[in-house]
Amino acid sequence: MEKVEKKLREEAKKLLAEKKVDVIVGYEAGTLPLTATPVFITTPEEADKLVWNSFCQHNLAKYVHDLISAHKDSQKRLKPEDRKRKVVGVVTKGCTSRSLVIHLQERQYERMDTAILGVPCTGYVDRKKLAAKLGGEEILEGSLDGANLKIKTASGEKTIALKEVLADNCLTCRINNPVISDSMMGEPAPPMDFASEYAGVDEFEKLSPEERWAYFEKEMAKCIRCAACRQACPSCYCRTCFAEQSMPQWVGISEDPSDTQAFQFMRMYHMVGRCVDCGSCVSVCPMGVDLRKFLKKLDKDCFVLFSQRAGEKIDFPAPLQDQRMDDKEEFIYSPGGGH
Amino acid sequence: MSQHDKPAGKKSEGWEPKIIAIVCNWCTYAGADLAGISRIQYPPNVRIIRVPCTGRINPFYVVKALQAGADGVLISGCHPGECHYITGNLSARRKFATLKSFLNYIGLEDGRTTFTWVSASEGERFAQVIKGVTERVRALGPATKLIKKLRDVSVAAAK
Ligand code: SF4
Ligand code: SF4
Ligand code: SF4
Repeated sequence: MEKVEKKLREEAKKLLAEKKVDVIVGYEAGTLPLTATPVFITTPEEADKLVWNSFCQHNLAKYVHDLISAHKDSQKRLKPEDRKRKVVGVVTKGCTSRSLVIHLQERQYERMDTAILGVPCTGYVDRKKLAAKLGGEEILEGSLDGANLKIKTASGEKTIALKEVLADNCLTCRINNPVISDSMMGEPAPPMDFASEYAGVDEFEKLSPEERWAYFEKEMAKCIRCAACRQACPSCYCRTCFAEQSMPQWVGISEDPSDTQAFQFMRMYHMVGRCVDCGSCVSVCPMGVDLRKFLKKLDKDCFVLFSQRAGEKIDFPAPLQDQRMDDKEEFIYSPGGGH
Repeated sequence: MSQHDKPAGKKSEGWEPKIIAIVCNWCTYAGADLAGISRIQYPPNVRIIRVPCTGRINPFYVVKALQAGADGVLISGCHPGECHYITGNLSARRKFATLKSFLNYIGLEDGRTTFTWVSASEGERFAQVIKGVTERVRALGPATKLIKKLRDVSVAAAK
């Protein structure tokens, strides 16, 4: 990991010095122990701030979209010949790269607007899992020591295996190395345990509709509609989200549980073939809503029905952009027989 | 008091399924027309909404209909390969395959939502579909999930 970090800093320095990029979005050490936070660097000197470790959680594709669309807006008032391109460099792990592919499939910007610094990923630490392991005690000091976390709290020193606190989406991540990159920092990471990727969904599908509804109702009842899940999601970049449209008003803002259910259902449904299971929405949710249980189903369906995964292939239309005569249609009703 | 203000889950006396059918102009709506002019009988439980093409149907229409208290939602368009806009129904098929599966996943009854194809010459099939869907929904009883129980201010104001 140190090697990757070193290479990353060198590469970032080079790109900035040669003015190949205007800004690089990456991670720096957070202000609290065992955290990392997004950083935007514009000069070669700052490149040494960059880190790459098991605390780099954010899906930075979100910022790439934000930066490029804000830049494009600012160029609108210029004459076409005076417009400049802004190139955004981005530290990219597997899920981030898939989000970038989705942006490209959806024509949000061009490939040359980005410089992709690929990093091999072995998963990030789930803060909530870690907090639970520590019984809510504050982390005074912490360091990563191979496959273990060494942590100092008020009650003493603790060693926690990294694997026990990795985020669920990381543990079963199928694509942990970037699917596209301009330069790769170090060797690709070994695969994660993706065979059990849909285990949670398969279990849930076995429940009766009533049990599933009860779970959905219970989870949605936690949601306070802060929309943090949407704000963190790289695929949620709409200028005006349906949730805020007023003509028509797609979803009400009353206290009626069905308004929240409809909001969540549609927010999630918009992720068909667009959710890369980066876990950003889950990690930012202040109420601990089990969004992944539902989002993963969309991922599974997309693969089962259309043999495709979100953001997996750049030279292929996104699942819901594609039109095919030979799709499965078991769900189509035929009167007097079958479904 | 509108139908969906009634306490959820209780089969009310004299309840009749309320089904929203969203159909495309070129095939299924014409099919419904044909059923009509051929005087084929079918249950009067459907309210038909005509749209240019199934590809134009926002999946939110289905959710909105359920939220507003529809007991069932039917979507029907041209058979694949026969779309007036060439591929609108192929887009729709992908959307609805995933939409229906996702609705079922959160616990909605399978029979609440129905997707099918009815062409302009299939008046008989249209009647069969409506019959079949009405029976399915009747067997399920009144819808209880996703329904908005607080009345929309706009609905109240319109009364
Ligand atoms: S972040 Fe959590 S609480 Fe906020 S809107 Fe999303 S699901 Fe609801
Ligand atoms: S829905 Fe959540 S897990 Fe999926 S891409 Fe968006 S933020 Fe990532
Ligand atoms: S929920 Fe849907 S409409 Fe809203 S920002 Fe996300 S993709 Fe766009």
